[in-house]
Amino acid sequence: MAHHSQHTQSSHSLPSRRSALALGGGLVAAAGLTACSGGGTASSTSATPLAPTSSAGGSIRILDDNTNKIFGSGVVARFEKDTGIKVEKYEQANFNDLHDRLATLFSAQDSSYDVVMTWAAWSAEFGRAGWLQPLSQSAVPAGVLPAALDAVSYGGTVYGLPKFASAQTMFWNKDLFEKAGLAPDTAPATWDDFVSAAKELTGGGVYGYAADLGNTDGAYQNFLRVLLLNGGTMYDSANKPVFNSDKGVDALDRLVKLLRTDKVMSPSSLQITNSSDLNTLFANGKAAIVFNWPAQYPVAVAKGALGKAAVGSGILPGIAVRSASIDGSEGFAINNYSKNKAAALKWLQYVTTAAVQKQMVQEEGWFPVTSSLLQDKTVTSELPIVSTYLQESRYQIKRFGAPWYSDVVQQLSTGITKAMLGQTTPKKALDAAADQASTIIAKYK
Amino acid sequence: MPASTLTPPRRPRGLPRLGGGRAERGDRRFNLLLMAPAVLVVLALFAYPIGYAGWLSLHQWDDKISPVHPYVGVDNYHQLFSDPAYREALDRTVYFSVITVLAGVALAIGLAVLLTQQFRFRALARVLLLVPWAVPPVVNGIMWHLIFDGDTGIANTVLRGLGIIDTNKQWLSSPTSAMNVLIFAEMWKLLPFLTLLFIAALQGVPANLYRAASIDGAGAIRRFAFITLPSIRTTILFALIVQSMWSLKVFDTIYVLTGGSGGPAGGTTTINFFAYLTTFSNLDRGYGAAIAISIMALVLLIAVFWMLLFRAPSWFVARGTRRRTA
Repeated sequence: MAHHSQHTQSSHSLPSRRSALALGGGLVAAAGLTACSGGGTASSTSATPLAPTSSAGGSIRILDDNTNKIFGSGVVARFEKDTGIKVEKYEQANFNDLHDRLATLFSAQDSSYDVVMTWAAWSAEFGRAGWLQPLSQSAVPAGVLPAALDAVSYGGTVYGLPKFASAQTMFWNKDLFEKAGLAPDTAPATWDDFVSAAKELTGGGVYGYAADLGNTDGAYQNFLRVLLLNGGTMYDSANKPVFNSDKGVDALDRLVKLLRTDKVMSPSSLQITNSSDLNTLFANGKAAIVFNWPAQYPVAVAKGALGKAAVGSGILPGIAVRSASIDGSEGFAINNYSKNKAAALKWLQYVTTAAVQKQMVQEEGWFPVTSSLLQDKTVTSELPIVSTYLQESRYQIKRFGAPWYSDVVQQLSTGITKAMLGQTTPKKALDAAADQASTIIAKYK
Repeated sequence: MPASTLTPPRRPRGLPRLGGGRAERGDRRFNLLLMAPAVLVVLALFAYPIGYAGWLSLHQWDDKISPVHPYVGVDNYHQLFSDPAYREALDRTVYFSVITVLAGVALAIGLAVLLTQQFRFRALARVLLLVPWAVPPVVNGIMWHLIFDGDTGIANTVLRGLGIIDTNKQWLSSPTSAMNVLIFAEMWKLLPFLTLLFIAALQGVPANLYRAASIDGAGAIRRFAFITLPSIRTTILFALIVQSMWSLKVFDTIYVLTGGSGGPAGGTTTINFFAYLTTFSNLDRGYGAAIAISIMALVLLIAVFWMLLFRAPSWFVARGTRRRTA
């Protein structure tokens, strides 16, 4: 009896087989209809260059790296007020994580972000892949510095607008120079001068020189800088890797000697994975000379650090040429799958305006992106290293951004680190990397 | 063989016919239908990604090079055998796995034995054991990065204080020492889980076995070898399989320790990290998928290896006990 009553009860509480089937069928059909109505509508991926329009409105979402604070702390709000365009989201991510995040986003033809941060390597890589919206020349503000524009372009196509200009500069600690008996206001002009100064400066827990060789891009940059100073180049006109030339081998050999023979390079250089860690090391007085990005300056002169009077800045000391540097300009580009490209372009242009650029100089220490601001007295007085950049720009400033950048840099940096560790010779390391780079580049033809 | 032996036995009277009547068959189908959503979820979460990865691995799928993705057959798998970077990553993975799996399981058994003994503050010790397990993997990576920092890390300070080193060591600057730091960080993270597993298993071993062995004159080592180990055999097998899988797919600690590079000089790039770099940094999805499939195959092979090893363990079962009872 109990069993019977239980059975009866469950018969009433559970749906019958037929009704369950009908319900399930209905749900599947509804899910199918939802899927049909919601998916499959790929956004426009037109390669037609985008020109500014007066009718831009609506909202945008921005994915930036975590270099600049000014956007989150005021620029975004002013942009919204001035243009009437709403910034639904301004998100910052660690630079080291951003490449893979963007690549995944683009691969999925995702339109979650309208504006993304870019620089020389990504403009080439993502631009060539058709993931960035090309811009028309009419979208480029007058007077944008060619080196800065180069960082957001590839193969003659402009894929974005720069947010700041940047090149590696020499910084030195005047107090430590004085203590070592060196002229505090005179920058070492040649590589030999630099090495001999670094030797004098090394001791008592302080190293004459420190670098950020700890990750792939850092190792590459440090080698590239000496390669350029030695009059070398990465590729020939046919994109054949030539960084293993005599000049390249000599450049890497000089870098190795700093660490292993002269012992003037801080050993921690091999594990510094971020230029901001280098900023801290210099600002703490643990390294007397560094070659770093302009953002080094505000960190070094900040309260509690070295102070303005103790920080010297100058062009990099040459080997075969007087000087040369690496470009580090960054910018914004428009996701080719964006649903609101007109408003996204407004943001790109807004960032290049004098008001935003001056704030960038004052608060972040990066160089302005237009030539007029580079000569502006308020800018040069606020940031003395802008004058150094003007001097620097008379010499070669290169980055060699290319679609194969990350693949080649991975191989090259492995060789550089092995040479730095004494596990192989500079020549063997560079020859092996050049072979691998040739194989990689051949795939792009 | 007589024909009659092939004839299936007659169904005893009173038992329902195999397959049942119409109503029973309908109920079975209905049960299957009720299970279908769960099966579909499993298919969506496991079978589809694996199938898609397999399909991807048969194509040349490098978005940076071409928007066209031709079918290339087993070319990507062929590349695995000729790619020195893959071989080096595999060597590093073997080094990492052998240490973390064998030393990890051995240490966990030792800790579990220790923590099942009666001593003061045992409860506190068990709680403290859980701390590494509670730390998120990324935080774990950051923490060890800070500890082993060449300039400001506490590891150098402690070792200098103990007189073990004279000058600061740059732990993360050479491939070998960076790999050893990685192993250390991973062991710290995995030990609590494995130890908890073994504590649970040890609590299921009947205490009278130990009492009887003691009466028979067996010392602590013999009791451990002939009672403890055989009693927790299945847990050891489980721990070895699970830890082998984890060691093959280690990622987050490498990412954080090395600034996302797998360095220095690729020294901490294990095969899983190599798959990541290939797929997401180099955007070579086809080859990346082939590497991922190879990792899956390795996981299966290793699991089978451990199961076969534990199937006929003449060295592992209580030989001493058998001899005495024979």
